Amino acid sequence: MRRILAVLWLAPFAMSAQMVKVSEHTLSNGMKILIHEDHDVPNVALYLFFKIGSRNERPGATGISHFFEHMMFNGAKKYGPKQFDIQMEKAGGRNNAYTTRDVTVYTDWFPRTALELMFDMEADRIRDLSFDPKIVESERGVVSSERRTSVENNPFGLLYEQFFATAYIAHPYQWPVIGWASDIQSWTIEDLKAHYRMGYAPNNCVVVVSGDVRPGEVLALAKKYFEPIPRQEPPPPVRTVEPPQLGERRVNVHRPANLPILLVGFHIGSARDPDYPVYEVMDTILAGGRSSRLHQRLVEKEQLVLNVGGGINPSLDPGQFLFSFQIRSGRQPAEVEKSLYEELERLARDPVPPEELQKVKNQILAEFYRQLKTIAGKANLLGSYEVFFGSWNEINAAPAKIEKVTADDVRRVAAKIFSPRNRTVATLIPEQREEVAK
Amino acid sequence: MKARGAILLLLAMTSMTAQVRLPEFTREQLPNGATLILLPRHDVPLISVRAVFRGGAEAEPAGLNGISAVTVELMRRGAGKRTAEQIDLDLDFLGATIQSGANRNAAFFALEFLSRTAPEAMSILGDILARPTFPEEEVRKVLARTADQVRAAKDNPAMAIGRYFNGAFFPAGHPYRHSGAPDESSVSRMNREEILKHFRRMATGKNLIFIAAGDFDPQQFAPLARRILTEIPAGETLPAAQPPALRFPQPRLLLVDKPDATQTYFRIGMPGIDRRHPDRIALLVVNTLFGGRFTSMLNDALRVNAGLTYGANSLLDQDRLPGAIAINSYTPTATTVQAIDLALEVLQRLLREGISQDQLDSARAYIKGNFPTERLETADQLCALLADLELNGLDRSDVDTFFQKLDALTAAQVNAVLRRHFTADNLQFCLVGNASAIRGQVGKYAKAMKEISVKDAGFSAPDF
Repeated sequence: MRRILAVLWLAPFAMSAQMVKVSEHTLSNGMKILIHEDHDVPNVALYLFFKIGSRNERPGATGISHFFEHMMFNGAKKYGPKQFDIQMEKAGGRNNAYTTRDVTVYTDWFPRTALELMFDMEADRIRDLSFDPKIVESERGVVSSERRTSVENNPFGLLYEQFFATAYIAHPYQWPVIGWASDIQSWTIEDLKAHYRMGYAPNNCVVVVSGDVRPGEVLALAKKYFEPIPRQEPPPPVRTVEPPQLGERRVNVHRPANLPILLVGFHIGSARDPDYPVYEVMDTILAGGRSSRLHQRLVEKEQLVLNVGGGINPSLDPGQFLFSFQIRSGRQPAEVEKSLYEELERLARDPVPPEELQKVKNQILAEFYRQLKTIAGKANLLGSYEVFFGSWNEINAAPAKIEKVTADDVRRVAAKIFSPRNRTVATLIPEQREEVAK
Repeated sequence: MKARGAILLLLAMTSMTAQVRLPEFTREQLPNGATLILLPRHDVPLISVRAVFRGGAEAEPAGLNGISAVTVELMRRGAGKRTAEQIDLDLDFLGATIQSGANRNAAFFALEFLSRTAPEAMSILGDILARPTFPEEEVRKVLARTADQVRAAKDNPAMAIGRYFNGAFFPAGHPYRHSGAPDESSVSRMNREEILKHFRRMATGKNLIFIAAGDFDPQQFAPLARRILTEIPAGETLPAAQPPALRFPQPRLLLVDKPDATQTYFRIGMPGIDRRHPDRIALLVVNTLFGGRFTSMLNDALRVNAGLTYGANSLLDQDRLPGAIAINSYTPTATTVQAIDLALEVLQRLLREGISQDQLDSARAYIKGNFPTERLETADQLCALLADLELNGLDRSDVDTFFQKLDALTAAQVNAVLRRHFTADNLQFCLVGNASAIRGQVGKYAKAMKEISVKDAGFSAPDF
């Protein structure tokens, strides 16, 4: 049968052909440097992963990691305000950055001719950032606008925020990465300085260089520009452990909208949980591609929802297995919940047929492979594996770990996590605009 | 791990200043009129395929806007002996991905699969292109879902502003007015018969551009491609739309009321160019400096200096027909006028001061530095680039002389082009926000002002 043939080609290929090679170094100040050569295009991706995110914040100053991500572009000692962007774009480069619950990542893409400039500018802002009160105020406006767009004027964003505030009662994952609106308005220069000292230690950073470079030249630049930055105390450990959930939690959000939205999540382990590969397989069985169980049932057969989203993201502390649905007009969130729970129960009860399990493994491996197509994709993946899974080299072990997942593993883990007690449900209930006016 | 691909591209791009070149490819015309383009590139064992039917919004019957997108979605929902579910299952089993869609000038499928699975993947694609069955049940499902997708889009003003702007900017009857996408009324007029009729007109050999890039041996892959393509009937070429030139005798403003919005999303347009316009490269330079990158004039003024927004940029359409040059941003409701005034001030400054030699050099370096990773790094990028050339009747010299043409531009030439196209007169405004809070203040931008609600069907005002 042709499907079984497909199985035979795909798996061995995926495991042997995608070995990613990295030259790994640790500077005397504790900064880790990962170098991957790829000479396809004359460009370089430079990614700096700082192990600080909203989990390292406290009430009253939520969102400060993300705000700080913005401040890192606003001037340092050698390269003053605006200079980072001006110099970089003039040299043919482009940048961005992102903040999550766990990390703050700076992403630079540039032609190889700008390599030394980038090391110089990154070192400058890691060591000697300035804090001009006027710039801080202006940037506060920018972040407020970002919050309005991504949360207040985006029904998914709004519900997502409420979901996490409900699913976690103790752990810092309860607050939004962008921060509560009142906190954005109130943090001080002192808060920012303290955050800088805590998060931006070289020993708290993993640097990934991927692209048209030679390891020797990169290492020489790292020694010249990064090594003199003094080591500091890294952020204190996050002490709070989320207590076990003892019963279902629900939150409703009423707002003007055309269609309802439903988010359902379950507590799972962190990226270091030995069951993490099983989560990945479960995620793909349920929601990976149009042939997945939830898409086939909820989108195609019962036509209850427009799409199935969510899934898992590697995290440093225990995270969520999340499902998100944009519900169709005229259908009720309760109908979606009922079908979803039946599918989750089925996963915990009946073994996944071998063909389906193989399909899912093929999908995961192909998808994994797609992330390695670009120098930027590789830089991001290498840094993420180093931070979340303990070593970049786990990339090369990942395909085998997925291959090892059995139908029994899936049943065991599904039974463990998909219980009503472990569940948080957030619903966006559309309300008529006339009601709002009252 | 990419040793083989390295040699090919490194020869092509030895330094920043050198001219980039498209890798070698072959192009042939099949007996049914289909164009087959093959670009072997052995860096990763993946193949990208793009099947593009000329037409898109330009070829849609009046009142059926979005039917091209609906048609390609349905083509993959039952074809040959496969049901929709079987196609999904077969593709997922191969670890393949397929995307379909339509835009202003074309409808397309983009498929990516592991090179070892080429025979299987191409056989599925062959069914989709030549033998779709359009099951009644799938038609019903897709149309109902499409109607809900339109509703969902209106819940998110950041998504909706682009469609409302097109509805305000392009006059009634212009194929770009509906963004190549369906709305409430066009969906209600679609049915299996209309879709089948559209499919027969659109999915012909004469309209088809088929591009494959990636890890294959052309000797083996070409017969595979020819076999599935020759099954498609030659048909007729869709007639190209020829709308009258865009002219705006006065400023106009479309205000879209979304009472719960806490920000105003705005776009301000003026007539632009088409993809083949001789001023295009100079305008890319101007657009980069005006609103095409982080340090651009607009972003610097509205975001960096004033903190009025998370982002301000400018857009330069480059389609088969002339489109818009537009300013695009958003700001809290209370600062709507402040932000729009500031954006207009930046436009005035651009017109008054033009661009300097330093700015030209910086924009040039930026465009050249980003081009390789944006357009030439992966097989799917190369497929998209080749499709763009083919749809616009261009050849490889468009890419192969791009850097030379950029290098040859002088500041005087760029400023002449700037003043030929950019204007502060008779601007076309579109705003989505809380109308009751801003309608009294925004009237100053245009005497010709119309207000509609997000609750109204469609994305335009009928007589505007």
